[in-house]
Amino acid sequence: MHPKIARLIAYCDSEAGADRSGRIARHLSECELCRGRLRRIRGEKEELSASAAAPALDPGRDLDAVLSAIAAWREGRDGGAASELTSRLQWQLEKYFGVPAMRSLERPGMRAEEWLGEADRMLDVFLGPEAGEAVRDDCLRGLAWVRPAREMSR
Amino acid sequence: MTRKAYTDGMESAPRWIMVFLGIYLSVHLLSLYLWHSTGLPFSIPGTSASSFGVFGAGLAGAGLWFCLAVLRSFPAGAPLRPVWILFALAAVVQIAPSALAAILGTVSLLNGAAWMGYASPEWMDRLQRFASLAGGPLRLALLAAAMQALLRILRKFGFLARPRAADRAVFGLFCLFTLCRFCEAGAASLAGRPIGTGEWISLAGLPILCVLFLEAMALRRAVARMGNGLVARGWMALVWAVLLTGAGEAALWAIPHYPQSLPLAMFGALIEISAAAAFALVPACLVAAQRHALNPATSRPEDLATGVPALAR
Repeated sequence: MHPKIARLIAYCDSEAGADRSGRIARHLSECELCRGRLRRIRGEKEELSASAAAPALDPGRDLDAVLSAIAAWREGRDGGAASELTSRLQWQLEKYFGVPAMRSLERPGMRAEEWLGEADRMLDVFLGPEAGEAVRDDCLRGLAWVRPAREMSR
Repeated sequence: MTRKAYTDGMESAPRWIMVFLGIYLSVHLLSLYLWHSTGLPFSIPGTSASSFGVFGAGLAGAGLWFCLAVLRSFPAGAPLRPVWILFALAAVVQIAPSALAAILGTVSLLNGAAWMGYASPEWMDRLQRFASLAGGPLRLALLAAAMQALLRILRKFGFLARPRAADRAVFGLFCLFTLCRFCEAGAASLAGRPIGTGEWISLAGLPILCVLFLEAMALRRAVARMGNGLVARGWMALVWAVLLTGAGEAALWAIPHYPQSLPLAMFGALIEISAAAAFALVPACLVAAQRHALNPATSRPEDLATGVPALAR
């Protein structure tokens, strides 16, 4: 069984944990499809960090545009895509479970990756793996740094 | 990896169950009101007995179908799979013996036993008893086991909470009712009054129903901590189903103690139908949530679809 996109992202960030990383590495050594997915994730992350580090400014813009570009750049450096993904997933959790369930996942000092992992597990357990995967794909759709599993496997 | 697109309309199953139940209850309560206000000489329990059977069997069948649909979506190893196996088994033991008793208990073309000459009254009676036992204590035990497994999973996610005074009061009231029923049966036995098989089967189910009440109260607290989402609504329906089953038992017990002029039998049957609808709603809500996830055409508001800032791309 192929690892999920969210787990590949976690693996790519060395956030998957020792056991899971071992399992994913073993799977990657045998599966060309997942190796392709991982390459694509790494490529898109590199593109994102490169564009976030050096935003291309149009010299013809006025001062307001430059200021808003700086604000957007700051937003991008703080992980705009991650916060967008988090807010989408929060909305989905609210829809399928409720606001208290969504809030119960948040703990002080919790990193975004941990929160995403918990949300992922909750969707899989209560909604079933296929529907959970569909919810994740729906959250990831349209985000610039990653594409839905469905599109990637075509 | 391709995903199947579902266009079978099961997304609106909970709504349809509620609509049918609403129409059914409204018609019966309206007829009860008319009967009460005009004093027409017809027996409401008599006229609606067959419709109770058909509607109840339909709900039980729909519940089993939804359970199987949910079970297919949880592969081996999924934490909730044992819960849904037990729910599906509970639905099977409710429907299969009753259907067998209905078919084999009558002399009809469908009854192969009658054709072969095996349809003796003793055999039919035994079959009916088996159907009541399977649809009563056995089904309740399967439901209790399913709820126990479900609560264990909810605890892992930190949704379980200590029961409140109201939860304890509801559980205590039902325990008191069970104790009264056992005392009554004991007193009748001491007085030499025979206790029927049906009553023994009903008594055997009561302690299990007490356990179910305790679990239902814990589940109610867990759902309150979860919220009012599509998945949480299904578990709330389970809480209502258990409460209505208990109320149905209490109504069945109360019927012989009151004059026949009161339509208690009809109320009891309406409570049982409502309980059957609530049990069917449990898997129906999850099927609806899964279909909603798998057909995400309208599952995200427009303002969240903007993605990362253009400059950061």
